[in-house]
Amino acid sequence: MATRSQFENSSDIGVFAKLTNAYCLVAVGGSENFYSVFESELADHIPVVKAPVAGTRLVGRMTAGNKNGLLLPNTTTDQEMMHIRNSLPDEVVVQRIDERLSALGNCIACNDYVALIHPDMDKETEELVADVLGVEVFHQSIAGNVLVGSYCAFTNQGGMVHPKTTEQDMDELSSLLQLPIVAGTINRGSDVIGAGLVVNDWTAFCGIDTTATEMSVIESVFKLREAQPSAVVKEMRASLIDSLV
Amino acid sequence: MRLEKCWFCSSTIYPGHGITFVRNDATIFRFCRSKCHANFKLKRNPRKLRWTKAYRKLAGKELAQDTTFELERKRNRPERYNRELLCATMKGMKAITEIRKKRQDRFYDTRMQKARKQTRESEKKSLLKDIHLVKAPESLLKDKQQDLLLEKVAAEPVATVEQMDVQE
Repeated sequence: MATRSQFENSSDIGVFAKLTNAYCLVAVGGSENFYSVFESELADHIPVVKAPVAGTRLVGRMTAGNKNGLLLPNTTTDQEMMHIRNSLPDEVVVQRIDERLSALGNCIACNDYVALIHPDMDKETEELVADVLGVEVFHQSIAGNVLVGSYCAFTNQGGMVHPKTTEQDMDELSSLLQLPIVAGTINRGSDVIGAGLVVNDWTAFCGIDTTATEMSVIESVFKLREAQPSAVVKEMRASLIDSLV
Repeated sequence: MRLEKCWFCSSTIYPGHGITFVRNDATIFRFCRSKCHANFKLKRNPRKLRWTKAYRKLAGKELAQDTTFELERKRNRPERYNRELLCATMKGMKAITEIRKKRQDRFYDTRMQKARKQTRESEKKSLLKDIHLVKAPESLLKDKQQDLLLEKVAAEPVATVEQMDVQE
């Protein structure tokens, strides 16, 4: 199910939170409201961690990650990195990368298997992304925007991109990601999908301005209606058994 | 708080000291004091200025490559907190500092051996040349005469032996 929430009167919650299948990072806010929304939904299944990054609250835009790892920008301090390392499960690799483009959340969009990255990113960064997150990496832009992380959101179930993405681009993307892709908006017509939406394989959070229509699009494309945290495991087991047999 | 190294002279920058310059391409340059910053602005190459670490290491004045330098560096992949590991690391840091100090001292010693030889030779030379400053010329003359006398005495028996040979 998708949930509406806001961070200190802002509906761009994707800026202040990072959600993956293995953990959730939330900005340290003045009030506990934002954190408790995530906690009530997720705390039973994955760790929800309050963490600053590079002295800012822009956790969602500064970091990129999936169930395998978490990438932090070079501006992250040692203390913040230690805190995140100690709060996340052992299987998650935490890595700080020396990249000129420090807003990794804007420049990298990923699920557990594929990542789209900013066309200007270094070769070294690309290798690190592939290595730490365990993904296949593609240099991409979405609807002419180089900030792939801002203008799209995708999980292992499906993806949503900038409303002005052409049919051709969407076909290309969906064949690249092997996922159903839909163009859409969030927060009553905002085209920055990454900023308005945080989503993983079984739950989604969107800005408080999001309309019911937008919600229903999100729920259908990310397959959230029937999704359960345990379903992911079951599905994985089924596919594992499949591959074993 | 991270103690950064000065871009120019490689000294440690403590909190509240120095200045940071971020270039247009997002490269960060940290300077420990205005001296380093000023020299940077003059576009001077730290490798060519004798007072920087870069010069000293490049010119072989200091220990440059050593395993004891490996511990102290920026790590991008953190370790999970572990008390035992932390204690071991703290102990290791002390031990490694000691080892490094010893190695540096030894390096300095071997480097100075050459210099020591040179100074000794030049001192010897100057002693020979400027001996009149140490001893009065009068006594030197006396020494010379004595030397000559000694030589004469040493030469005499040889001469007699030769004569004897002739007689036989």
